[in-house]
Amino acid sequence: MGQCLRYQMHWEDLEEYQALTFLTRNEILCIHDTFLKLCPAGKYYKEATLTMDQVSSLPALRVNPFRDRICRVFSHNNVFSFEDVLGMASVFSEQACPSLKIEYAFRIYDFNENGFIDEEDLQRIVLRLLNSDDVSEDLLMDLIQHVLSESDLDNDNMLSFSEFEHAMAKSPDFMNSFRIHFWGC
Amino acid sequence: MSESSGSAPPLGGPSGHPGALQENLSVDSSCFSPAVNFLQELPSYRSIARRRTTLLSRDKQSGILLKPADSCGSHLEGEITENLNSQSIRKYALNISEKRRLRAIQETQMKYLSEWDQWKRYSSKSWKRFVEKAHEMTRHLELWREDIRSIEGKFGTGIQSYFSFLRFLVLLNLVIFMIIFMLVLLPVLLTRYKITNSTFVYIPLKDADKQCTVYPVSSSGLIYFYSYIIDLLSGTGFLEETSLFYGHYTINGIKFQNFTYDLPLAYLISTIAYLALSLLWIVKRSVEGFKVNLIRSEEHFQSYCNKIFAGWDFCISNRSMADLKHSSLRYELRADLEEERIRQKIAQRTSEETIRIYSLRLFLNCIVLAVLAVCFYAIYLATTFSQEHMKKEIDKMVFGENLLVLYLPSIVITLANFITPIVFAKIIHYEDYSPGFEIRLTILRCVFMRLATICVLVFTLGSKITSCDDTACELCGYNQKLYPCWETQVGQEMYKLMIFDFIIILAVTLFVDFPRKLLVTYCSSWKLIQCWGQQEFAIPDNVLGIVYGQTICWIGAFFSPLLPAIATVKFIIIFYVKENSLAASGNGSANDEVSCGPSLPWTLVPASLAAAPRPGTSLIMFYFIALAGAHKRVVMQLREQLSLESRDKRYLIQKLTEAQQDLRDQ
Repeated sequence: MGQCLRYQMHWEDLEEYQALTFLTRNEILCIHDTFLKLCPAGKYYKEATLTMDQVSSLPALRVNPFRDRICRVFSHNNVFSFEDVLGMASVFSEQACPSLKIEYAFRIYDFNENGFIDEEDLQRIVLRLLNSDDVSEDLLMDLIQHVLSESDLDNDNMLSFSEFEHAMAKSPDFMNSFRIHFWGC
Repeated sequence: MSESSGSAPPLGGPSGHPGALQENLSVDSSCFSPAVNFLQELPSYRSIARRRTTLLSRDKQSGILLKPADSCGSHLEGEITENLNSQSIRKYALNISEKRRLRAIQETQMKYLSEWDQWKRYSSKSWKRFVEKAHEMTRHLELWREDIRSIEGKFGTGIQSYFSFLRFLVLLNLVIFMIIFMLVLLPVLLTRYKITNSTFVYIPLKDADKQCTVYPVSSSGLIYFYSYIIDLLSGTGFLEETSLFYGHYTINGIKFQNFTYDLPLAYLISTIAYLALSLLWIVKRSVEGFKVNLIRSEEHFQSYCNKIFAGWDFCISNRSMADLKHSSLRYELRADLEEERIRQKIAQRTSEETIRIYSLRLFLNCIVLAVLAVCFYAIYLATTFSQEHMKKEIDKMVFGENLLVLYLPSIVITLANFITPIVFAKIIHYEDYSPGFEIRLTILRCVFMRLATICVLVFTLGSKITSCDDTACELCGYNQKLYPCWETQVGQEMYKLMIFDFIIILAVTLFVDFPRKLLVTYCSSWKLIQCWGQQEFAIPDNVLGIVYGQTICWIGAFFSPLLPAIATVKFIIIFYVKENSLAASGNGSANDEVSCGPSLPWTLVPASLAAAPRPGTSLIMFYFIALAGAHKRVVMQLREQLSLESRDKRYLIQKLTEAQQDLRDQ
């Protein structure tokens, strides 16, 4: 279990990250620590990468039913650089603005990545949420129909980004639910 | 729309966009149906995508949208930099390296601005940074931040909201106490202990008034040990002489060097101040993060969109809590669909059935009223009995009996508050409402019950104080003989109520919940124990409990200025007790039938309690409701129009696809 070279983050880098993300100083430093513990030995943290599996098994994401989607959305070329992890933490931080969260939520929920959340995506979302083997077809269809009837404004059986944005702006729980505490300190 | 794997060839850009954008589209769009491909090309879709600056396609496989790093990059960046002034860099949905580039562009842009604009930009940025640092500082100072964070991670946002509400009440009571301390206590203390050069001013009273203000504090010669305990628990004896009660403040003014500080006025102002502050703070807290949307037609707490897209608590990091959340979601979604079915069934009731149901409901509501009346009468009797027998001397009674008499009203109130929810839950079963409505109505009745009991107590005391059968009343306006200092008596009752409520909460948590948990852990082989012992953290009950405690505090604070301080300490202790009991029992709330989300319904309860309706506000509310109705109609029309347009769009896309097919086939 090697560790990255223990370089302290430069002050300018810290300032820059603070300006570019919604994270606080402490959060950035904690993520930096966690990243150093996980990345391969002998590499500078800015060049090191983590695999999707490593990020999936972080305590914050380990039990999340959407962790594979989260990893896919935030990684580049199937690996996570330090800045990718920071970007992910920033979107999920408490201080992030609603529009950013809605944007990434849409990307996460768009399983087939066609730019819309259609019935297939909804089906997968519901199955992930219920996490059970015996979900009847009727229940699924019922739920999907209800969701679409509430938020599909133009009746095309899919949610475009605008419709999703509209639905989430009215949802009282979205901002509270779409938060992850990444740091372990 | 069916997701057929279209065999349509890559489509050329129909709307004459710059070439570089086209090339991204043509990559592997065959996995999407032709309809979706068309939709992705539409100008409306692209402009929305550009507005989000979703420079999505990192890997070319899912090449859908726009990429900044191409030759077309400058064109795109031009679009983005138009908006740069309006948004901070953080809000862009880009990764950090792209944001860095944007920031560099922004800074080079700055050079072309005039000096004034540059300075404006710079100062606004520094101001924002300062505000952020200040926020960070204050967030650091937040009470119990780590505890609540870990609770959120382990048990979810529902339970976390209870604890953050508790924290809010601690702070509120502390602030209330500060107000009272500053305005009332501090001058008195300063003068009493000769810290400042001021003196008390006693305004000379007329004879009649003198009689009204004479207040003999009872003190027996021999002081038994347990009389101290009794005094502590009931607010009599030595406590009466302290600052705890209103009767202590007999001073009419404090003369400082330059002015006279009017103490009674200060007392009144402090009362108004803390009531206003409480109201404002609670309303602010309720409205935060809660978009009041009067236009909506459905209940948004129960809405499916909310449950599906915001149903999973992303901050759960614990395996068992995750399983609990999954099962809770399973239950909730099924229950919602069930409720839907019941509502449809209700809508299809015949008129005969409706009449039967309504008469049954009328009958059951009468029973509810009867139950309430019985409770209120019991409280009245208990209070009267307690007041009459309180005057007996201490040494004539046994310790337990004395305490029982003193605490009789509190005991009866607590018993009533305990039994009535059970009774209401049983009754509502027969009233045949939909499950969601059942829960709401039960809770409403319980809340009403709790408030009404306090009112009955106050009313009984009031009637006792002002009832007399000789001329004593005319002199001072109340029964001077029995109640020489009625404000203190009322304060005492509130004090007793608060202490008793606190004892009950502690007792229930320590002596009921904890053994239950032990039973479950060690005797888990017995099925009976398993069923009964698996208790959950019932959020509504707990929230109602602390709201009740806070209401007592508000009402009692006028008569007993130190009550907010006691309430602060009480809530702090409750926080730690509940937190440890939760950690020990390790059970979140599983089948929380009311929405598992944040405490929004519950924070509205104190807001509605505190906000008494007045004619002015009613008029304003009526206006807004009328406005909302009008808006709703417009929204319906626009929705109709939108779906018609979409149908046209799909029709055209279908025609186009068919035409393409024909062309290819030829």
